[in-house]
Amino acid sequence: MKIFVPRDAAARAVGADKVAAAIAEEAEKAGLDVTIVRNGSRGLLWLEPMVEVETPAGRIAFGPVKRADVAGLVAAKFAADHPLCAGRPEDIPFLKRQTRITFARCGVIDPLSLDDYRRHGGGRGLERAQSLGAAATVEEVTRSGLRGRGGAGFPTGIKWKTVADTRADRKYIVCNADEGDSGTFADRMIMEGDPFLLIEGMAIAGFAVGASKGYIYIRSEYPDAIRTMERAILLWPIDGFDLEVRVGAGAYVCGEETSLLESIEGRRGQVRAKPPLPAHKGLFGKPTVINNVLSLTSVPAILADGAKHYADLGMGRSRGTMPIQLAGNIKHGGLFEAPFGLTLGELVEEIGGGTASGRPVRAVQVGGPLGAYFPKALFDTPFDYEAFAARDGLIGHAGVVVFDDTVDMLHQARFALEFCAIESCGKCTPCRIGSTRGVETIDKIRRGEKVEANLALIEDLCNTMKFGSLCALGGFTPYPVSSALKHFPEDFRRPLPKAAE
Amino acid sequence: MSSYDGKLVMMANQIGRFYGPQKQVDPATAIATHIRKFWDPRMRAAIVAHLDQGGVGLDPPVHKAVERLKAAP
Amino acid sequence: MSLVHETDYGTPVSKSTERVTLTIDGQQVTVPAGTSIMRAAMDTGIQVPKLCATDSVDAFGSCRLCLVEIQGRAGTPASCTTPVAPGMVVSTQTDRLKKIRKGVMELYISDHPLDCLTCAANGDCELQDMAGAVGLRDVRYGYNGENHTRQEKDESNPYFTYDPSKCIVCSRCVRACEEVQGTFALTIQGRGFESKVSPGASFDDFLSSECVSCGACVQACPTATLSEKSLIEIGQPEHSVVTTCAYCGVGCSFKAEMRGEELVRMVPYKDGKANRGHSCVKGRFAWGYAHHKERILKPMMRESIDQPWREVSWDEAIDRVASEFKRLQQKHGRLAIGGITSSRCTNEEVYVVQKLIRGGFGNNNVDTCARVCHSPTGFGLSQAFGTSAGTQDFDSVEESDVIVVIGANPPDAHPVFASRMKKRLRQGARLIVIDPRRTSLVKSAHIEADYHLPLRPGTNAAILNALAHTIVTEGLVNEAFVREHCDRDAFEAWAEFVAQPQNSPETVGLLAGVDPAAIRGAARLYATGGNGAIYYGLGVTEHSQGTTTVMAIANLAMVTGNIGRKGVGVNPLRGQNNVQGSCDMGSFPHELTGYRHISDDAMRETFEVLWGRKLDNEPGLRIPNMFDEAIEGRYKGLYVQGEDILQSDPNTAHVVKALSSMECVVVQDLFLNETANYAHVFLPGATFLEKDGTFTNAERRINRVRKVMTPKTGMGDWEITIAIAKAMGFDMHYDHPSQIMDEIARMTPTFAGVSYDLLEREGSVQWPCNAKAPLGTPVMHIGGFVRGKGNFLITEYVPTDEKTGPRFPLLLTTGRILSQYNVGAQTRRTANVAWHKEDVLEIHPHDAEQRGVREGDWVRLQSRAGETALRATITDRVAPGVVYTTFHHPDTQANVITTDFSDWATNCPEYKVTAVQVSPSNGPSEWQREYNAQAEHSRRIAAPNSAKIAAE
Repeated sequence: MKIFVPRDAAARAVGADKVAAAIAEEAEKAGLDVTIVRNGSRGLLWLEPMVEVETPAGRIAFGPVKRADVAGLVAAKFAADHPLCAGRPEDIPFLKRQTRITFARCGVIDPLSLDDYRRHGGGRGLERAQSLGAAATVEEVTRSGLRGRGGAGFPTGIKWKTVADTRADRKYIVCNADEGDSGTFADRMIMEGDPFLLIEGMAIAGFAVGASKGYIYIRSEYPDAIRTMERAILLWPIDGFDLEVRVGAGAYVCGEETSLLESIEGRRGQVRAKPPLPAHKGLFGKPTVINNVLSLTSVPAILADGAKHYADLGMGRSRGTMPIQLAGNIKHGGLFEAPFGLTLGELVEEIGGGTASGRPVRAVQVGGPLGAYFPKALFDTPFDYEAFAARDGLIGHAGVVVFDDTVDMLHQARFALEFCAIESCGKCTPCRIGSTRGVETIDKIRRGEKVEANLALIEDLCNTMKFGSLCALGGFTPYPVSSALKHFPEDFRRPLPKAAE
Repeated sequence: MSSYDGKLVMMANQIGRFYGPQKQVDPATAIATHIRKFWDPRMRAAIVAHLDQGGVGLDPPVHKAVERLKAAP
Repeated sequence: MSLVHETDYGTPVSKSTERVTLTIDGQQVTVPAGTSIMRAAMDTGIQVPKLCATDSVDAFGSCRLCLVEIQGRAGTPASCTTPVAPGMVVSTQTDRLKKIRKGVMELYISDHPLDCLTCAANGDCELQDMAGAVGLRDVRYGYNGENHTRQEKDESNPYFTYDPSKCIVCSRCVRACEEVQGTFALTIQGRGFESKVSPGASFDDFLSSECVSCGACVQACPTATLSEKSLIEIGQPEHSVVTTCAYCGVGCSFKAEMRGEELVRMVPYKDGKANRGHSCVKGRFAWGYAHHKERILKPMMRESIDQPWREVSWDEAIDRVASEFKRLQQKHGRLAIGGITSSRCTNEEVYVVQKLIRGGFGNNNVDTCARVCHSPTGFGLSQAFGTSAGTQDFDSVEESDVIVVIGANPPDAHPVFASRMKKRLRQGARLIVIDPRRTSLVKSAHIEADYHLPLRPGTNAAILNALAHTIVTEGLVNEAFVREHCDRDAFEAWAEFVAQPQNSPETVGLLAGVDPAAIRGAARLYATGGNGAIYYGLGVTEHSQGTTTVMAIANLAMVTGNIGRKGVGVNPLRGQNNVQGSCDMGSFPHELTGYRHISDDAMRETFEVLWGRKLDNEPGLRIPNMFDEAIEGRYKGLYVQGEDILQSDPNTAHVVKALSSMECVVVQDLFLNETANYAHVFLPGATFLEKDGTFTNAERRINRVRKVMTPKTGMGDWEITIAIAKAMGFDMHYDHPSQIMDEIARMTPTFAGVSYDLLEREGSVQWPCNAKAPLGTPVMHIGGFVRGKGNFLITEYVPTDEKTGPRFPLLLTTGRILSQYNVGAQTRRTANVAWHKEDVLEIHPHDAEQRGVREGDWVRLQSRAGETALRATITDRVAPGVVYTTFHHPDTQANVITTDFSDWATNCPEYKVTAVQVSPSNGPSEWQREYNAQAEHSRRIAAPNSAKIAAE
């Protein structure tokens, strides 16, 4: 009997290792012949650890499985009538509603089995790229409409073309896996669940632009992903393309592409002014493609199945699918890959099932700690770069964090500024000083000092930071602050709680 | 030989060891020219006087050069 | 008079030849492609507000004041980091920009102390200027928030303070340390609001850090955070005068910033073509000797050297000099006296000294301190190329691909040029270092030599022959260049010679202690790596084969075609500020100005006509010959201007003997130097701040020295020489040094076009400067050699007679350190002693262990010439068998050890090779104690109108 127990860090965090060990132990006791495969996660996080059993009718899922449940499950020989049985994973509505392109294999295969990878269609993208040639590969990516999944949404094909057209003795592919946004985990999941996909995507990029060396910059907080990628690199050496994992040191700002390059070069993680663009002068001064994990892992399917197949999905200028991460106070949290175009309300209320606390949703923050807070009134906003921008929001890395009606939005605004103060690299003035002054000013508002004047000052500060900052850290900090002020003004004008008598 | 003369002999021989291997010029002529151009007359007189006393220590081409110096100071 | 204000264009100049036209605030402007919008705006006179940008470092984009709007582009890009584009339409002032700028300034000021009135930068503060420029009127955040205003000052550096409370974290200092100086001593510590400029590790202060005190950070700082202590003490200067540094041969231009006649600070001058706005610790800060209490301000005399000095009037002193010299000539003959010109004095001063000697003394017993440093350069290069000077300007290094440094340590001895060289190396130029020591250039921040050939001292010529052997036998000769520009027969004779097996890297490697593969690799790199430039120093010249080695260098440059254009060449790094000039000015006993032999009758007669005197047509004595003749009793009187021959010339005992044999030694200097201990008349000199004139640097650049204060002694050095001449009956009349230069120009073909007017207009010029090259000659031998065809001379290796043996098993070599200059007469009288209090002996761990020497121990250093004692430091910078020391301190007397062996052609002393023994010691040697007692005795100055003798 083949049993799948996820090795994904999110599953391990809720006891997957213990469950796997218990299954082996109980099966041996029961004389049951089992093969345990440590797969990636399917991304149905409320069901983790989600154990799957291979049956003639396909795989059957059980979850969430605790160690204490294992003896019973083994005794029942994982029968479908067990109370923890969730049926065929593909039939679970959360998964069924998805269009899995990037995450097609995640949770299905053994992440470190190259055979498994190939059996499930892996490797076809690189093969096709090589048969098309470098220029046609870039063209294919351009035609797919793929935009940078790190947050900025810059067309990937155009970036590649710039690097391809820049002459240099050496070029680099850098994968940004410094996934630091609150409520995001897609990069981690795919690296832990389908690492060869990232290797293939980077190899295609290298082939397309003429780079022979790639770096994957992974945050140190992702030890499982680091280990998995390092092993996968050893298992799949690619001719003419050398890959190396570099580990970050805990700075959020190193997710900003130029800081990330500085960090790989061994310097302080400090933002570089642009121009020059990394595509012209990037890592070690050489033309560099720097892409997010999700951008690079979207590429193999685009090459394998053709640009049109991908471009036919989505809405407006946002083409293809987006791996959306539902998190925070939400009933059904997890990874939801779907074409652009679902509304925020659909995502939160229908797919996510509302809050985990059962209380009404009050605010949703999309795009990480520097994304805007949207009230329910904006739940009709479709998941699309331009539609969010039109409402002073951003998709970012597609992290969706839900808050119920107990949230204090003044506190959330303060948190954004405090986050910026802690994570600022210190290079530019608006971010370096502005974030600290912002926290102090919010505190004055909380204390009821010159509330209207200080609110005006915060508005001015947001203007200074938004248009004056060197990078998105300082430049986007105003989004959560301004949106909180705009949509939840009542939280900033509360009378001081009376001191206890 | 006085230490003063010894020094001059050594200096002249040093010059000789540079011009000796030159192919483009006659070493003795070149050595004599160099000494004539750069040595104070008293030094030149002293090395000629040293030659007159037997020229102990002067390497062969230098010996020849000092002879020329004597002929045309 | 007013302050010389320099325009800060914000970002460096673009070297592109492509031109771009754009519109800024309605004005059309055309600039080189790659120029920043900020610089383009400045070109039309539009000053975009800025704080983090300054044109000495690359754009950084951190202050966010210089934002602009560009038609058709989103956002508000920084004008410093955004390059111009054709047709671009830029607005530098809009409501949106005004609001952002005011917002940014409000943040800055919310974290800045409000002590403008008592701040050292008051009146010269960019933060203050920008607050004004953006119209900041209110800081709504208040001043009670988190701030840095109570941080402690770092006052460890003797010359400047670091006050972090005033820091705006623009990183200009950090970037200047990296980009301009190349030391990488500074960093930003912490991040976000905690960001703070820090010298190295957290436990470091500026003095204990790797900071070399070049001043680039102070220069770059827009506020009072990094301020000169002199500025803090005195206040802002009110006028400034551009002049030239009087330390090394780089010849940096500085603005002497003054308040009245008080010097407030020396600030490197951006338009200085040698230094391009950079400086080192000496030129920038170490000028305090000019008013040191030990400086002598009155003429002094005595009958004999065991008497105390007696202060006298100028007239009395000058009369004594003239009458003594005349007496000696009457008694011992016309040739019994002579003089030494100074490479520290101006061209004009050197010229009048040699004129005094040739015209007034009637002989050619004139020499200069270049004798003991670069005389082989002059002779060697004149034989090979036809000119006694380096071939390039310093800017040339910016186009070099392979840089070869032989026997030179630029980061210590020529720091400002070293910074420019290191910048090029960081851009990717390759580096070959040929030096017995592992100098800092071999491996330092972001720089590593491709090849270091750590040769045994004294084997330079052999190594260079081995490089040539590789080039010739491996078919790397630049045939086209040799065919077109060189003497064919000479080339073939030379090629046959270097191809001989005794010149192969394998044979030479054995005797020089260098890996043959490295020799071959270095030769291939130099021959094939693009523009190859050779820079060399006294490690080449101060050998018995110094001249031969200079010729071998010239051969290498010719055989590879690395001559006659930018980026290549043969570049002697001159030791003192005016070594080149003093040689040019006819200081050598055998030649008049412009290197023309005294025996050239037609040329000599032009001087005779002008000066109204018959000149001797025979060469005079060189410095070492003067000593020998003095000991022989035939040389009795000496006029020494600005050189401490006793401390700086080799074999001190020999020099002492020579000086003691003379009857009238006249020393003209700022201080009672070591030579003055044996002098009979002391004439107090003027500092470079006290006179007008010119210096000529290592790149043949004639730079103006300008008087910024009245001579404290009442006389400029040139005036003293003229007074002596007059007293001896040789009247030369000049009202101003410019007239001396006019005479030099009239008499010297290579200087024909030089005048103070021209220098005023052009800033500086490089000779030859004449009708053919009215604005001077940055690069020589373009399209052909000055002598016609380049001459290959055979450079057979001749081992020095100075050999190690059982008594003296180690080889001593000597050199300099950054903070001290030469014999230290100036730098020892400044706060530079904070970095280098004494000379120490570097010894390899292996040799130290054999002798039981531990770090910091006193050791006895002996050679056949003498012995001294100093402290040892154990390091593998030197190879086993080699020891090294500096010669900056008279207490050490390194030259007691060095011998009187010298270069075959020029008598330049063989300072760099002395066989020595090192043994443990308890302290200073007997010699040092006796010497110090004599010196102390000799420096006594009698109190005026009193018989009492006051110790100095």
